[in-house]
Amino acid sequence: MNNMRVLAEEEETSDGVEVTWEDQQQINTFAKLNARLKGIEDKLEQLKQEKEALDDLSTELELTDEDQTVLYKLGESFLHLPQPDALVRLEIDQASVSSQLAKLGAVAEECERGMKDLKVRLYAKFGKAINLDE
Amino acid sequence: MVEQKFPESLDKNPRGIPKAPFIANVEEYIGGPDGDVEGPLKDFQDAIAKYRYMDGSLTQRRKGLEDKIPDIRKTLQMVEFLKQRRDRKQKADDQEDDLEEDDENSEGAKKPLTTTFELNDTLFAEAQLDDTDTVYLWLGANVMLSYEIPEAITLLRSKLDAAETSLKTAIEDLEFVREQLTVMEVNTARMYNWDVKRRRERRSAEEAAKREKES
Repeated sequence: MNNMRVLAEEEETSDGVEVTWEDQQQINTFAKLNARLKGIEDKLEQLKQEKEALDDLSTELELTDEDQTVLYKLGESFLHLPQPDALVRLEIDQASVSSQLAKLGAVAEECERGMKDLKVRLYAKFGKAINLDE
Repeated sequence: MVEQKFPESLDKNPRGIPKAPFIANVEEYIGGPDGDVEGPLKDFQDAIAKYRYMDGSLTQRRKGLEDKIPDIRKTLQMVEFLKQRRDRKQKADDQEDDLEEDDENSEGAKKPLTTTFELNDTLFAEAQLDDTDTVYLWLGANVMLSYEIPEAITLLRSKLDAAETSLKTAIEDLEFVREQLTVMEVNTARMYNWDVKRRRERRSAEEAAKREKES
């Protein structure tokens, strides 16, 4: 009981601004966007790596002979493809990765923009009483 | 203590997850300055426990779907590849009938497809795929069905779509549940602080009364 009192009294000195429902909603939205962005970041990184690998592969494949057979991975197994066919498949894969990357990048950007807006508003109201950085 | 109308009477999200109420005014919520806080606090704890449980199961669901989607996509890619090959071979055959000549393209398509596939972890084997119109899809529950290639593609596409929509709603629900959890936690903290403040005020009032008596 005594502990509880001390804690509350200390807290009260820093608790100057009343948190309204709107503020709470904004804080929630911020948290939501932050979590969403975190989830996307990993995937984005993964896609970027994949794209890099495919780009490397593209330069590598250009150097091989046209009548050469290459092993191209599709799903879990490797296909023995003639080089021109492999190039076609590679283009398909590159296009798919690029479009995914663009889509996710747009979502991430949207999250960041929303968070920036909310940060401005919430910091203006709560100042040091709130911390919106990681 | 009258049973709080919680959370049945409240708003819900599209999947029927109830929305948590935001308690702006504690005194009003518990019904006056002498209202009971134990009951509502217990209700809050129950609600938080329920949301936590939903959070857990949704997280699991999300993980399951995130594992499943790449699998479906890979299968779909492979079947689509087979179809492409098949179409090309068909075309090459037609050409052969018409022109009676073997150009380079048709020869490439006519060769049987060789694959190196994973027999087990780190163990690979080679296999030649005969041209085929049918593929076998594993449907789960120890059942495998044979499908014509176009049918298989349709099925896989619809499965992929369903899984992706399902993942999207799972993520939506997850975000919703997390928000409700925060709201309930904030409510709990507010009510708790309010109760502490009330106790302190009561005590100082008592002390003041005592002092008055003594003097």
